[in-house]
This record gives sequence, C-alpha cells and structure tokens, in this order.
Amino acid sequence: MGQLGYLFAANAFVWAGILIYIVSLMKRNQALRRDLELLKETLEKDSDR
Amino acid sequence: MKAYLAQIGTIIWKDVLSELKTKELFASMFIFAVLSILIFIFSINLSIVNANDVGPGVLWVAFIFSGTLGLNRSFTLEKENGCLQGMMLSPVDRTAIYFGKMISNLLFLSIMEVLILPVFMIFFNVDIISVLFSLLLVIFLGSIGFCVLGTLLSSLASNLKTREIMLPILLYPLVTPVVIGSVNMTSRLLAGEKLADMTKWIGLISCFDIVFLAVSIMTIDHILEE
Amino acid sequence: MSEELEEKEEDSEINWILWGLTVLAFSATVYAIFVYVPTEKQEGLVQRIMYYHIPSAWLSFFAFFIVFLSSILYLWKREREWDIYAQSSAEIGVVFCSLVLITGPIWAKPIWGTWWVWDARLTSTLVLWLIYVAYIMLRLQSDAGSMRARYSAVIGIAGFLNIPIIHFSVLWWRTFHPKPKMITPEGFGAGMDDSMVMTLMISLGAFTLLYFLLMGQRVRIEKMKDEIDQIKKERFYSN
Repeated sequence: MGQLGYLFAANAFVWAGILIYIVSLMKRNQALRRDLELLKETLEKDSDR
Repeated sequence: MKAYLAQIGTIIWKDVLSELKTKELFASMFIFAVLSILIFIFSINLSIVNANDVGPGVLWVAFIFSGTLGLNRSFTLEKENGCLQGMMLSPVDRTAIYFGKMISNLLFLSIMEVLILPVFMIFFNVDIISVLFSLLLVIFLGSIGFCVLGTLLSSLASNLKTREIMLPILLYPLVTPVVIGSVNMTSRLLAGEKLADMTKWIGLISCFDIVFLAVSIMTIDHILEE
Repeated sequence: MSEELEEKEEDSEINWILWGLTVLAFSATVYAIFVYVPTEKQEGLVQRIMYYHIPSAWLSFFAFFIVFLSSILYLWKREREWDIYAQSSAEIGVVFCSLVLITGPIWAKPIWGTWWVWDARLTSTLVLWLIYVAYIMLRLQSDAGSMRARYSAVIGIAGFLNIPIIHFSVLWWRTFHPKPKMITPEGFGAGMDDSMVMTLMISLGAFTLLYFLLMGQRVRIEKMKDEIDQIKKERFYSN
C-alpha cells in the first residue's frame, strides 16, 4: 500500500467512525421522540375518558 | 481517635482470625502464584529468552493475579456471610471499614509475597539475599498501591453480579503505573543498581499510593451506602 | 405546555447552529488538510493523518476531563443531570480514543514499518481506552439508579486522576529507545511550519464542535429515556 493508501484508510476510518456514531445517535433520538409522543398521546386519551 | 483506630484494629483482627481458622484464602493465593509462575515459564522459550530478564515481570504478574484472588475473596466472604451489612449497620466510620479491609488485604498479600520470594529465587536462579531489604521495600511500595486501589474497587465490584470479572477489568488498567514501576525497579535491583538511583520511580509509585488513598477515603462513603 | 414548546424551539435553533458550524468547520478542515497544507518533507503524505490523530487525542482527554468534573459534581449534589453528562462524555471520549488508536497504527506502519509501537502516547491511550471501556461496562452491568451513578462516578474520578501518573510511568518505561526526530505519532518535531500549526488548530476547532454536537445528542437521548421511564412510573401507579 502506498502512502496515499494509508492516508485514504485513515480518512475512511475517521469519517466512517464519526458518521456511524452520529447517525446511530440520531436514530436513537428519533425513536425515543416517537415513543415519547406516543406515550403522551395515550396518556391524554386516557385522561380524557 | 483511639476509638477509630480500635475499629480498624477490630476489622483487621476479624479477618486475621477467620483466615487463621480456615487458611483457605492464604493457601489459594500462594498456590495460584506458584501456578502463574509455572505457566509463564512454560510459555517462554527458554533457549531464546534469558530467564533472568523476564523474571521480575513474571514475579509481579504472579503477585497481581493472586492479589486479585485475595481482593475478590476478601469482599465476597463478607457478602456471603452478611458481614458487610453487619458492619455497615454498626456505628463504624466507613473509612475505618476501608482501612481495616485494606490493611488486612495488604497483610495477606505481603505475607504471600515474602513466601513466594524463595520460590522465585530457586526457579529463576537469582540472588535476592544481597538486595533483600531494598527488594522488600519495592515490593511493599507496589503492594500498597495495589491494595489501596484494589480494596476500593473490590468493595464496589462486590455489589455487582459479575463481581469476579469486573474487578480485574476495572483494576488492571488503573494499576498499570504501579506494575510498570515495580517491575522496572525489581529488575534493576536484581541487576545490581542501587535503590537510591531509582528515586523518580519511588516518587511515582508513592504519588500513586497517596493520590488513591485520598480518593478512596473520600469516595468510600458513597460506595458503602445503604 | 407552551413553555415546553418554547424551550424545544430554542433547543433546536441552537442545534441547527451547532450543526451548521460543525459542517463548516469540517469543510475548512478537509480543505486545509488536503489543499492548503504543504507535504511534510520526511514523512510525506501520510503525515497528514496527524491532523486527525492529535485533535482526537486532545478531545478524548477533554471528554474524560468532563467525566471527571461531572462525576465529582454528581457525588456532591446527587443530581441525575451530572450523571447524564458523565455517562455521555465517557462514551464520546471512548469514540475519540478509538479514533486515536486506529489512526495511530495506520500512521505508524508506513513510517516505522510496524503496526504497533509501544511508544508513550499510543500505550497511554490504550490504557486510557481500557479504563473508560471498563467504565462503560460497569454502567452496563448495573441497574439504573443511584448505585450505578455512584460507582461510575468513582471510576470517572480515579481514571482521570491517574492520567498524569500513567503518562509518566509509560514515558519513563520507554526512554530506553531512541526517539525518531521528526513529527511522529509521538509528538511535535523541532520545527513545525506555521501552516501546519494553523491546520492543526482548524482541525482541533472542528473536532471540538463535533464533541459538543455529539454531547447534545447523547444527553438528549438520556433525558428522553428518563422522561419515558418517569411517565411510565406515574401512569402505572396512578392506575
């Protein structure tokens, strides 16, 4: 592997690592927000009855 | 003050007494240390490596492994017999419990280490008699560091389900400076250097001992909570 | 109810600004690394890895410092908020630390011929990584509550205080071997060109913004989890 190859590998790992982590955080965030909304809705419906 | 020291003394005495009766902890620590040394010897290619070069490292690995055994057993025994709860319910200062356990751990570890030294001397054909005093000092300094942090972490780990594996996972990375320093000093002592030439390592390990003693004293209350 | 909505709007405004700034900073960084900065004479192209490697190391150190502060504050005030900060910062610190451990060998291989070198920085980083991975494992093994928070706080404090001690012990351990006199995975050489310093600073800025961005996301996740648990508890008990 030439020098460029190593540089590319390092870049790839860093960017992939950061992006994978950020995306996983964002997905968890969204999922939780959905759950929260759902929970609040059902709570309101119950109290309305 | 006297009462405080008496509390510590009682805890140490309790551990020593129960150990004298069963001798289970001590025997297992000693045998385990010998076995560790043996396994390492088998894993080294003695025709290539000089046994003396790896001797100090192997010695300290044996100390650390069997020391971990001792730390684990020390708190697990307390939990099994409900002693820990008993101690915490009585009006004993938490730091006294810490000091008591720490000193008894140190005591058992030190005794085992002293008894391993002749074994070490025979297996690795090293002359420890001429440097005996300095060697004991180095071993004691390192063992203090190990027990100071080890007792804190084992009191913490004993409340987890996976206590026996979590103790090494938490302890070993934190204790690396002590291991590095102690092995370094031990091998240099055995090579003939004087202890006075190793002041920076002595300083480092002492610093470690003091810092983590302070951390333990300040955080033990938060660990031994009801 | 409207208070909550206002808070959320402010929150997402700050969030957008942070996102924008981070993307901007990283664009500047990539430009600086690949276009602006000249190629180093001795090491060549590979040396550019430094602009990822060193800022990651500094940020992981910063993250663990935040863990340290938050742990102390938690033990002092016993407020869940601090526990959340400690947990989130530890996770992000491990991520950055992993980047250091990955870029290190990739940088070392073409320069020194081997993947791993037991040099001061890499070894210390490895030990640090192990300490904070143990922190995370400890949290995973305990149930949510004050015990988990207290115990991890102790590790958070002990781990950080150990950093200088580890650094010196590893450094003195390795001083038998001659250090290569150039900009290496280990440290700065004698003369670093101004443009290199500038690029390093830009990269550092970008990584710092990234840290805060990640913290915001991670902390919000924990807070929402807490809210959900809280609502479930109330609902269960009120029925």
